Amino acid sequence: MKIQGEGHIFKRFDQEMSHLHSVVLDMGKLAVQQLADANGTLEKADVDAAHQVITNDARLNALDIQADNEITNIIARRQPMAKDLREIIAVGKIVADLERAGDEARKIAGLTIRFFKTSENPPRQEILEDIYALSDFVMEMLTMSMKSFDDLDLALAGNVLNDSLKLDNKLQSTIRRLSTFIMEDARNVGHFVDIVLGIRALERFGGHAKNIAGHIVFIKSGEDVRHAGLEDILARIQA
Amino acid sequence: MNVESTIKRTIAGRYRKERRFQQMGMISMVIGMMFLLWLLVTIVQDATSALRQTLVAVDISLDEDNFDQPINKASIKSASFGKMIKKSLRKDFPDVKKRKDKKQLYKIVSNGAEYAIRDSIIESPELIGTTHRFWVFADDEIDMLMKGLIDRNIEEGNRRVSDKTISWVDELVAEGRVETRFNWTFFTSGDSRDPELSGIWGAMKGSIFTILITMLLALPIGVAAAVYLQEFAPKNRFTDLIEVNINNLAAVPSIIFGLLGLAILINYFGLPRSVPMVGGMVLALMTLPTVIISSRTALAAVPPSIREAALGVGASRVQMILHHVLPLAAPGILTGSIISLARALGETAPLLVIGMVAFIVDIPTGPDSPSTVLPVQIYLWADSPERAFVERTSAAILVLLIVLVSINGLTAMLRNKVERRW
Amino acid sequence: MSFKENQEYQTVGNAFSDDPMITCRNVDVFYADKQAIFDVSLDIAKNEVLAMIGPSGCGKSTFLRCLNRMNDTIDICRVSGEITLHNENIHSRETDVVYLRARVGMVFQKPNPFPKSVYENVAYGPRLHGLAETKSDLNEIVESSLRRAGLWKEVKDRLEQAGTGLSGGQQQRLCIARAIAIQPEVILMDEPCSALDPIATSVIEELIDELKQQYSICIVTHSMQQAARVSQRTAYFHLGKLIEIGLTDDIFTHPVHELTEGYITGRFG
Repeated sequence: MKIQGEGHIFKRFDQEMSHLHSVVLDMGKLAVQQLADANGTLEKADVDAAHQVITNDARLNALDIQADNEITNIIARRQPMAKDLREIIAVGKIVADLERAGDEARKIAGLTIRFFKTSENPPRQEILEDIYALSDFVMEMLTMSMKSFDDLDLALAGNVLNDSLKLDNKLQSTIRRLSTFIMEDARNVGHFVDIVLGIRALERFGGHAKNIAGHIVFIKSGEDVRHAGLEDILARIQA
Repeated sequence: MNVESTIKRTIAGRYRKERRFQQMGMISMVIGMMFLLWLLVTIVQDATSALRQTLVAVDISLDEDNFDQPINKASIKSASFGKMIKKSLRKDFPDVKKRKDKKQLYKIVSNGAEYAIRDSIIESPELIGTTHRFWVFADDEIDMLMKGLIDRNIEEGNRRVSDKTISWVDELVAEGRVETRFNWTFFTSGDSRDPELSGIWGAMKGSIFTILITMLLALPIGVAAAVYLQEFAPKNRFTDLIEVNINNLAAVPSIIFGLLGLAILINYFGLPRSVPMVGGMVLALMTLPTVIISSRTALAAVPPSIREAALGVGASRVQMILHHVLPLAAPGILTGSIISLARALGETAPLLVIGMVAFIVDIPTGPDSPSTVLPVQIYLWADSPERAFVERTSAAILVLLIVLVSINGLTAMLRNKVERRW
Repeated sequence: MSFKENQEYQTVGNAFSDDPMITCRNVDVFYADKQAIFDVSLDIAKNEVLAMIGPSGCGKSTFLRCLNRMNDTIDICRVSGEITLHNENIHSRETDVVYLRARVGMVFQKPNPFPKSVYENVAYGPRLHGLAETKSDLNEIVESSLRRAGLWKEVKDRLEQAGTGLSGGQQQRLCIARAIAIQPEVILMDEPCSALDPIATSVIEELIDELKQQYSICIVTHSMQQAARVSQRTAYFHLGKLIEIGLTDDIFTHPVHELTEGYITGRFG
């Protein structure tokens, strides 16, 4: 009996798994790209491009459906066990998270349309700075999650979980800062509601990245960390 | 190279070879069958004439002064029926005067005729005082003549029956005093120097007793030995040695077993010669290795899953063997044993050595009375000079063949029955 | 991954039970000079199904056969260590192997009903051990055994017909009925479904699930899915060693030992 270290006895199984893996990575890239593009439209006040971002979300949805089909097929035909089983279950959830992250990116693109097509007085770029900053942060989180998924790197997943703690602090300080803008100029109130909704979308985007990191911990260790305290998980990862 | 055309080319050659192979097998089979058929046809042809026997009618005047007074069983027994027959024949052929011719005339009737007449008088003494026509066996030469097995056209000197005798017989035939009837004697009497009086019943009974003894000895001992060797014996050098020796014994020429019987059973233990008991023992020794080997094969063929099943429900080893293994192996054991018994039934050589080749007229009454067996009887008759023994030899061979075939048929039937029980 | 044959090793997972039916401690099995089982310790609890899995030749069947001393029939086989049933050492001289096998029944890989009638198949064991005093007692045992084996409805009208004439799955259930007719405490099953089609297999699996209410069951199987479906605990054997044992739920979702992981995900064979 030979122990082959890596590689399934069915080569097709490995091929199917790695294909699924690449679909997930594509989805991750696309989700980050969507958010980046949405930010670009906001910066350039480009309503047409914003429409394009919204249309592009369909690609993410299609990938989501494709990934789900592949997962169903693998379960039906290969009956994966142990690590394979955990991975396939986790991938199902990661895919759902990525698809929702894409929805959040679409909401940012929606802001562009609201601000620059229907609104008579567009907001100053200055008050949109917070959105850009938060976007960069959560995009970094998601990128890190995907890298952690690619390499099954628990340390990176831990970083993402850490970042999600930072994200909470950032959100609070952002809200505080925005309140000072409102106090300066009450006419901005209308925009602020939209901006807060945008920030809320970004928070969710970050939340999805954090979920994905949790799924990676599950793949790696077999423990479901979704509802455990963050400090707990981090302690466990380090151990 | 074009694979398809290459394959197609070779296929034709392959079919040719296959056809040739099949044809060769067919030809061999046909040749074999032809020889067998030839053998059978000759035997049957020769044998059928032995089923009929020529009888001659003689009128015997049973005058009371031929018998001692008073007439009772003893006096009938002591009466000379030979004389009466001769007298009757002289009366029938008054022209025969010369002593030499008279002798020839008397020889028309079988030597056994006087005893046959005596026996029928003992049975019905009221015939005494009358003249009665008795049908008695003709001599074997006359029998041959009547069956056309002696050619009348060859020169008298080369013929066993003289011209005179032929003319007398023709006269008797013209008078309607010669008949051929079914030959019951052949199936009911023992051996005799006179072919017309000889039969196979004595040899048959000898065979039955012998094979019975063989079966009673070889079967239980053989099966028990096989069970022990196959199921219980540890695997070591000693049992290996036994196994090798059993296999070798099966290949030992049968006459050696006869010598063994002679040396040990007869010379050392002082058992009588020529009796079925000793014959049976010798044949049992001879068949034992075959019985053991075939029984072991049958036991080994019982699937291990059945053994496991029995052990799994808590049967002991002996229970497993008695309840499951032996019943399943029984058809195989039976087949092997009966085939080896059939071989023993046809065996001659070892029995010659222990004296079962003796000339025995009496029908054996038990395994301890001297007798011979069918194949030895065939050997004895085949060795006899009389022409009439030729047909008897064939008839005895036919009987032996029928017995063997029916034993094999019985085996097949028995096997099917045992197997169909489940 | 590397695994040396003769190195010391430690079984991963909890092999023991608070309420054991059978306990095995440091069991070694040798075929002549070749060691087939290395220092295996585990418990089989009451009313549980313990599945033993592992690649071919890993010794799981050999180990199973130690539990009712079926290995006794192999001359060159030697067992050391301690196996107890109800705290009685089954290899001690006082333990009668016939009695042991009455308490530890066995079902084999190939359905092996006796070439006798259905009735005789089931009645054989009870009759052998004198479990039935009267004919009606015996009838009752046969009926209840067939019922528990889920075969009664199918065969009640042909009890006198040959057991070998049943379908493969029915034959295997007949063998199970035969095993439970002598009221064992433990039933050993050596790949009971490997010769059956999927439907017959699921019938047997359902039956195993019901039987565990009354018996402890130890099943050797080549099908990981089957082990996952029917067992509460799973033991993984590799080259004669008990590598990992634990709750089936854990073994099939997150096994600890890399060999277990490799085997159940199909990454070596």
